Amino acid sequence: MSNGKIVSIHSFRGGTGKSNTTANLAAQVALAGKRVGVVDTDIQSPGIHVLFGLDENKMGKTLNDFLHGKCSIREVAFNIGENAADAEGRAKLAGKDLWLFPSSIRGREISQIIREGYDVNRLNEGFQTVLKELNLDYLFIDTHPGLNEETLLSIAISDVLIIILRPDNQDLQGTAVTVDIARSLDVPHLVLMVNKAVPKYDFNDLQKQIADTFQAPVAGVLPLSFDLADNASRDLFSLRYPDHDWSKALRGVTDVVLGVR
Amino acid sequence: MSDETIISQLKKSFLFRGLPNEALIELGRKATRRGLAKDEVLMRKGDVGDSLFMISKGWFKIVTEDARGGELVINQTGPGETIGEMALLDRAPRSATAIASSEAEVLELKQDAFYEILNQRPDLALELIRSFSSRLRFSTTYIQKAIEWSQKISAGDYSFIENTLTVSRAEGTDEDKASQLLSAFFQMVRNVKDREDQLKQQVERLILQIDEARRKQEFEEITSTDFYADLKEQAKKLRAQRAAQQDQK
Repeated sequence: MSNGKIVSIHSFRGGTGKSNTTANLAAQVALAGKRVGVVDTDIQSPGIHVLFGLDENKMGKTLNDFLHGKCSIREVAFNIGENAADAEGRAKLAGKDLWLFPSSIRGREISQIIREGYDVNRLNEGFQTVLKELNLDYLFIDTHPGLNEETLLSIAISDVLIIILRPDNQDLQGTAVTVDIARSLDVPHLVLMVNKAVPKYDFNDLQKQIADTFQAPVAGVLPLSFDLADNASRDLFSLRYPDHDWSKALRGVTDVVLGVR
Repeated sequence: MSDETIISQLKKSFLFRGLPNEALIELGRKATRRGLAKDEVLMRKGDVGDSLFMISKGWFKIVTEDARGGELVINQTGPGETIGEMALLDRAPRSATAIASSEAEVLELKQDAFYEILNQRPDLALELIRSFSSRLRFSTTYIQKAIEWSQKISAGDYSFIENTLTVSRAEGTDEDKASQLLSAFFQMVRNVKDREDQLKQQVERLILQIDEARRKQEFEEITSTDFYADLKEQAKKLRAQRAAQQDQK
């Protein structure tokens, strides 16, 4: 086992910008010179690989193969630092220590794992193994929305749990339950992040309101951005447009992650 | 009308304020006396004006037309006041109609007579230019201020209304008109700011609603399984192991 930190990123509902946030956070932390892994445990609807420029042709072994005992977790690791030059933002990651552990995007393999399930303990072993073998400082886990077993596992073993929510009451309700679960599982660092905030709100006020409601720190309020939507996951937005308000707020969240001891 | 009366009356107008008394007396002598019956029109809006009137007796209403063509009184003026001094210089159409609201008497100074004096006394022309220049400077200052404030308002900065003092004056001087403009302007800004603040209050606060009963129920559904109990136990062990390992380092 290593000293590396497991940072799970979760949202109760889909569409909060979770994968985008995870990818950008991991990239920012790698850019800061840390050794970083990103695991896509959203096995039912994987997506984070797109942000790192990985498609079906480039994808080798996947997390599914590991969970079915067909390969070691180390074989799943895709080195982003060596394969990042295809887009302007990602190109900044060249030479950085960043590995992606993708989930399979083949329909058959997705339906198989949904049908048969897998041993969540093996997933945990995988996390611990890569932390140690790649000597990671941070392992980011992109979770599946909701609170299924692998998500509960990710939460349970997290050093830092970032819950992303939009400023609306449906997200708030789900976040409340997730916060309670995280406290019940003794997650050492619970952090909230508001994404897709519309400009009619006073962001400082919103940050305070949500922090007060959950009695947990809000690491950032990130604006709803047409520019981000327009980027359509083609590139890592915060690397490509570092001066954008969304990118600035994301770096604020990055600082919170890097500040956790 | 006595010389003193004429002097004090003409000096009320910014145009003549700087002229020496003997010039004002001369102007007064060139003026002709004109009597008006009640409701008689002294000058009509749109007429080409070429004279100023000093009211020596009676009252006048200054009227214009409202949108439907009706009479709209915009001012009342009486003894000691001067009407239409700008016409001496620019012969522009009268901007309003003046009607005697009682039996009245005015001294009318024609443009020709005014020019005649200026021809004889070029120093007076210079003095008139000074008066204009100071009035222009006065107006420009306020226009610049208004531009500066408008830019601040459009940027949402209303702080200047707290830091700027407005003084209200009772007389009908230029300063008075300027301070009226200022207070109207400031009142407008305050109203805009209040409305904006109210609007902000309406849209800015998200009403956070959490159904606590549902929250508790969902929490219990998730945490009551064997899987969860086992997970909690495992997580606890794992953390203890990692903490022990960190202590060793």
